[in-house]
Amino acid sequence: METGPQEALGKERAQGPVPLPQTLLEELRAIVGAANCIHEPSELRTYESDGLATFRATPGVVVLPGTTEEVSRVVKATAKHGLPIVPRGAGTGLSGGALPVPGCVVVGLSRMRKVLEVNLEDGYLRVQPGVINLDVSKLLAPKGYYYAPDPSSQSVCTIGGNVAENSGGAHCLKYGFTVNHVLGLRMVLHDGSIVDLGGPVLDSPGYDLVGIVVGSEGMLGIVTEVVLKALRKPEATRTFFATFPSTKEAGDAVSAIIASGIVPAAIEMMDTLAIIAAKAATGLDWPEVGAALLMDVDGPLDEVEHTAEHAGNLARKAGCIELNVPKDEAERQLMWKGRKSAFAAVGRISRNYIVQDGTIPRSEIGAVLGEIAKLSAESGIRVANVFHAGDGNLHPLVLFDARVPGEEKRAEELAGEILRICLRLGGSITGEHGVGAEKAPYMAEMFSDDDLDTMAKLRCAFDPGQRFNPGKVFPTPRLCGDRPGLYRAHPTELSGQAERT
Amino acid sequence: MIWGVVPQEPQSIEEAQELLRAAYRDKQRLAFVGGGTRLGIGAPPKSVQLVIGTSKLSRILEYAPSDQVVVAESGVKLSQLQAELAKNGQRLALDPALPEKQTLGGIIASNAFGPLRARYGAVRDLIIGVSIVRADGVRAKGGGKVVKTVAGFDMPKLICGSLGTLGFIATAIFRVHPLPEATQTLVSHGLSAAEVNAAAAAMRAQQLEPSALLASRTAPGRFDLAVRFEGFARGLAQQVKKASAIGRLSPAGNEVWDAHQQLLAEGPVRVKVAALPTALAKVDAALPQGKLDFYPSLGLGFCAGDLTAQLIASARAALAFGSVVVEEAPSPLDSFGTAPAALDLHRAVKNRFDPQGLLAPGRFIGGI
Repeated sequence: METGPQEALGKERAQGPVPLPQTLLEELRAIVGAANCIHEPSELRTYESDGLATFRATPGVVVLPGTTEEVSRVVKATAKHGLPIVPRGAGTGLSGGALPVPGCVVVGLSRMRKVLEVNLEDGYLRVQPGVINLDVSKLLAPKGYYYAPDPSSQSVCTIGGNVAENSGGAHCLKYGFTVNHVLGLRMVLHDGSIVDLGGPVLDSPGYDLVGIVVGSEGMLGIVTEVVLKALRKPEATRTFFATFPSTKEAGDAVSAIIASGIVPAAIEMMDTLAIIAAKAATGLDWPEVGAALLMDVDGPLDEVEHTAEHAGNLARKAGCIELNVPKDEAERQLMWKGRKSAFAAVGRISRNYIVQDGTIPRSEIGAVLGEIAKLSAESGIRVANVFHAGDGNLHPLVLFDARVPGEEKRAEELAGEILRICLRLGGSITGEHGVGAEKAPYMAEMFSDDDLDTMAKLRCAFDPGQRFNPGKVFPTPRLCGDRPGLYRAHPTELSGQAERT
Repeated sequence: MIWGVVPQEPQSIEEAQELLRAAYRDKQRLAFVGGGTRLGIGAPPKSVQLVIGTSKLSRILEYAPSDQVVVAESGVKLSQLQAELAKNGQRLALDPALPEKQTLGGIIASNAFGPLRARYGAVRDLIIGVSIVRADGVRAKGGGKVVKTVAGFDMPKLICGSLGTLGFIATAIFRVHPLPEATQTLVSHGLSAAEVNAAAAAMRAQQLEPSALLASRTAPGRFDLAVRFEGFARGLAQQVKKASAIGRLSPAGNEVWDAHQQLLAEGPVRVKVAALPTALAKVDAALPQGKLDFYPSLGLGFCAGDLTAQLIASARAALAFGSVVVEEAPSPLDSFGTAPAALDLHRAVKNRFDPQGLLAPGRFIGGI
């Protein structure tokens, strides 16, 4: 098993296994087949965490259903035992959104990876949730179409996971997030019933439940089919890689470009440490300057020729040192590879690191980077900055060495301080990684109790027993208030995260 | 009088909150009104005792042009907002009818849109934050002031199109877009539905990126196709030139959009029809009477005229996978047709937000 840099921390070792009722195990085996029912402790280890490996818990069982019908039967069988259910895609999430609850039933959707329908005339396709994000675009490429949301993990993450997290990516500046590209969903609800929400035809009467389920972090049900928008590829894309003495000039360039009325497809910033890391990972010969911008503009040819030239001039005016245009598509891909591998690349320059994700108003970029630099200097903890500059979505990588006593704690505090800066400026605690288990405590700093209570109403409407993915998003357990029948311990109580008073 | 009641016009959100609290305490049924241009959508709320209007909640609270984000109270008129944004070369990329009357709250609650939806999406795609006053008088917010946030459930989307049945919209936050430097419309006359589809497909094939696409029925089975390009002047010419080679499109003025805006507010009966983008022939046959405008890249259209209940019912039967929603009618008609299969879920959402059923009772789908 490959271990990430965070693996070594062992901060929260897996809690001991909670036994699964034997009758449930037998039922689940009968539904999905013994081969798709993982129960061996050694095999369960794979499912103890998602991409946030510091949060771990052992599920009671992992089932891998192959059809919507099987998902429904799994949910019904589990409901009889009152056990929590944690849906899981590829497990690449960075916020612990797929963190199991001890003893729970994990429903992995990886076997449901069929493309069910492609209708380019009407601009959509219908897929199962286990389909890999990038495979959708690969499938559509020969016809000149693609699927827009492009999270950095797109070669491994699944559409189902994207739906749960409302995944973004570098190009959501112009094209929007998953929620802007999902037209409809089929999902299994808490009682095992199957519903269709939305669909290829827009504006189905009723509440926008598709808009709610996308980004609900697996807490409202299990999505088993997704209707996606298929977009025609733009005629042309122009890219530049521009270097700057510092993040200040790079930030000014971003502001000038946006203010000029250009909507870049993507505009990404990296600071010195991030550039060094990306170079180490890809072998690119990027200069080790104060900051770099990687920008894509796309659209009709003449339009992008104009906007690329105009944006380039604005970058020069803002103090750019050098502006490089890739000579061909291969070089362009390499530049993007450098950017997209930046997270993992940081592992080459630091033993351990925390990937932070927060959003600030774009105009505050310069000031915020200054504050982060100051915090970094004060604490002696290095921070590499890689981010989606166009929409103010920061990804500070907080670097530390867990072997040095106290460093991990200082790194965590620094990462937390960055989120507080985001909040102070009216931003968000997460731009695209989700709240999950990791940031649930910060929700109470971004939202009032009334705000959270209102969100909880929605959860209760979908899942009155709150058995889907408990312990995520909400900072404290909230009861739906009307559960009939016998008292059942809330999953967060079972896992020792909360207690009833 | 709106729904038989003289609306109360609170001066502030706090006052509105007071009204809601009192109504909750006294179990009074209530409804909300913005510009009052889209009250025909949904069934008239049942025996409403209080109507709250937003005419005094007309402040633009924050506008950061460099962040392309604006925060406004729900009673702000669309034209008022656009005038403010235009000072900085920006706009809210939404163009429903009657912008001088429609309020932001009304646009959100009724999912109002116009032809720009082809490029920029609906209000759900442009709203990034909202604050509501719940039935119990509690104020709550969702989303935020930045375009990119995934913290918590997406409350703004829940409120879009909810017709005042979940809460009173107090403020909203939108992302805004730059105003285009140049605009050009092209029109082609007398196309069949198949030719409209072929032209739309050809534009996709040629990688053109129109900001709006509209087919207007001129006779049964005959349409004028209008397409609008927007952008930088230097890029526009190429798109116009390429489009001119498609389906006899030639440069034209803005009259076609003005006429369409009129239809968007016209009666005596007006319906919104939703179907697959290529279903124009089917829509034309299902709604053979009245004026018909259809967005061939979205599958959405509007039909206005003397449409009878019977005609609407048969159109619904013919467009089984779509919907026909009444937007305007002199006397109440079945607004939505058959309720969706997931009605129980919609009802559960309503019951959680408004357990006593006080907000616009009966206006929404399935009698919600």
